[in-house]
Amino acid sequence: MADIVLRTRNLNKTYFGKVDTPVLFDVNIEIVRGAFTALIGPSGSGKSTLLNCLGLLDPQTSGEIDFDGRIIDAPDVNELAAFRNENIGFIFQFHYLLPEFSAYENVLLPFWIRQGRPAAEMEQEALRVMKRIGVAQFRDKAVSELSGGQQQRVAIARALVNRPKLIFADEPTGNLDRESGRSVLELMAELNRESNITLVMVTHDREVALQADHIYELVDGRICKYLDVAKTGKAEAARAIEDRSCTIKPPAGNGA
Amino acid sequence: MKSKKNRYEWMIALRFLVKGKGQTLLIVLGIAVGVAVQFFLSSLIGGLQISLIDNTVGSAPHITILPADRAARAAAGAGSASDSGRALHEEWTEIHSWQPYVNDLKQDARVRRAAPVANGSGFIERGDSVVPVIVKGLTAPDGLDIYRIKEKTVAGIPELSSDSALLGRRLAERLTLAVGDKFFLRNDRGDQVFLRVGGIFDLGAAAGNELLVVAMDRVRSFFAMAGVSAIEVQVRDVFSAETIAREYGRQYRRVKLESWQEKNRELLTALSSQSSSSVTIQLFVIISISLGIASVLGIAAVQKQRQLGILKAIGTTNRSASRIFVIQGFLLGGVGSILGVAFGLLMAFGFVSGTNAAFGLKITAATLVTPVVLALLASIIASTIPARKAAKLSPIEVIRNG
Ligand SMILES: Nc1ncnc2c1ncn2[C@@H]1O[C@H](COP(=O)(O)OP(=O)(O)OP(=O)(O)O)[C@@H](O)[C@H]1O
Ligand SMILES: [Mg+2]
Repeated sequence: MADIVLRTRNLNKTYFGKVDTPVLFDVNIEIVRGAFTALIGPSGSGKSTLLNCLGLLDPQTSGEIDFDGRIIDAPDVNELAAFRNENIGFIFQFHYLLPEFSAYENVLLPFWIRQGRPAAEMEQEALRVMKRIGVAQFRDKAVSELSGGQQQRVAIARALVNRPKLIFADEPTGNLDRESGRSVLELMAELNRESNITLVMVTHDREVALQADHIYELVDGRICKYLDVAKTGKAEAARAIEDRSCTIKPPAGNGA
Repeated sequence: MKSKKNRYEWMIALRFLVKGKGQTLLIVLGIAVGVAVQFFLSSLIGGLQISLIDNTVGSAPHITILPADRAARAAAGAGSASDSGRALHEEWTEIHSWQPYVNDLKQDARVRRAAPVANGSGFIERGDSVVPVIVKGLTAPDGLDIYRIKEKTVAGIPELSSDSALLGRRLAERLTLAVGDKFFLRNDRGDQVFLRVGGIFDLGAAAGNELLVVAMDRVRSFFAMAGVSAIEVQVRDVFSAETIAREYGRQYRRVKLESWQEKNRELLTALSSQSSSSVTIQLFVIISISLGIASVLGIAAVQKQRQLGILKAIGTTNRSASRIFVIQGFLLGGVGSILGVAFGLLMAFGFVSGTNAAFGLKITAATLVTPVVLALLASIIASTIPARKAAKLSPIEVIRNG
């Protein structure tokens, strides 16, 4: 039995407004601890929406998220903030760093929020992570003086520093040129391999998706395919992605 | 524990302010000017009021104890009673047993001085003119000290030996008398006494400078008084005179007590309306400070939406987010008002050394602290508006919209 760190049960998300927009329909997925899971699908299929629900940033409309034993169904905003701080790291497409702070201070932010002043070993950990990621030399630079790729690396360091149970990345290279995009992705894959970090990444890039251990494909707010790359092998997975038809059918009575 | 956790809120608030240099500087200057104006205005008005009150009561009795009938007769406006009651004149117009009153009053810690006075009116002949004078019989030292005659003596020696007289400056000028000169004082019964000018004083006020001051016992015997005309009292806290007078008025049934406040109602009304207009100005200064802070921090809350969204995504609670803005308000108010007090003190020193105003500034802990506390409170209250905005912001809005 695989060790599941996060699991959803019939997750639904509707945006309420002038027109109500249902986006996710009865999503059931499982994230294996220590694995790299890719989330793919056409634009507008609900990938970001799902990732934000899984990352406890956006409350689901119905259904349940089991986050490593903690059931999140009717979340309290402030409690979730503390929970996110300790358990989740985020890497977004637009590298969200605080421009008022240096690279190092940005990496320390999760510690600050958790306990005011980080302990000495936390500061050492921040430096170690920055070194590993290759941004130690920018330690005291203002983040606005860094290139896009460098900023994204700093954001990765910030996501990692807290040793979160899960790291969510939403098209982390979408805003980078090919070259630095490649190297950021290689870095993330390496980090996943070397320290068993659980990584959930939304990507448009099939090449990148095929590096993952597991792939979920979302179409029109429904899970359409699940691929266990380790089991089937990359070639088979690549072929399955090309195939248009869904292998996971919506539960009876819920069909479109 | 909790305050330790709040540390990062301070760091972020401070950094937001430091990085928003222009805005921060403007609002800090705005607060500083407001505080400086408040401080300067209240010190100025305070100083002005002190000097007005000092002119009124600084060298005058604060409470006058009079024979009971005087006030009553004045109220009745009776002129004929004095004619028919000629024989009773002394009993009606004098306090006979003044010593117990004086002793009693001197035991009160709130009372600085209490002294009997004997008043009379007479004439001085000089050349071929006859000048009417008001004669004041004082005792040394308390009687003289109530009028600060020692400090205000401009010539001669302020002493009351048996034949020496102290003259108000105007009176001395009119009579062309100098220290050492001798003159006759006559009363309305035709008695006369030979006096020597011992000193000349200048009380500043016109009425005071017309006085002829002689030793009290001399005055009493010259005018054939059995008692004294009044007991004059100075208290330590000028403003408590009315209360103290009322208090003793209940004990002393045979005399009448009058405080300086009762005699100077108009002045007091003027002072209090001056104070309330200064309060109004201060109120508007506070309101404009608050509006300034609310608008600057309101803009900042919008500008920092992105940062707030990131912070919230990685664990900042709504409460912390709002505190970051309240702290900014507190810092702006704190730095602004400290700077304001510095400006205000500079203005005060400039005023004191640069102008020849007849009065000083009243700088007390209250005039310093009040504008600071008000500005701080205003800043914190004004910052609750952006703080609420910051609390409400949802991280997902920021993250979804890039
Ligand atoms: N706040 C919102 N209100 C209403 N509809 C929304 C809102 N946010 C997203 N949607 C809709 O939800 C659907 C899914 O959006 P989402 O951003 O999750 O797609 P995506 O798969 O991430 O697309 P992309 O690959 O382009 O990033 C879209 O049709 C979008 O219009
Ligand atoms: Mg998306």
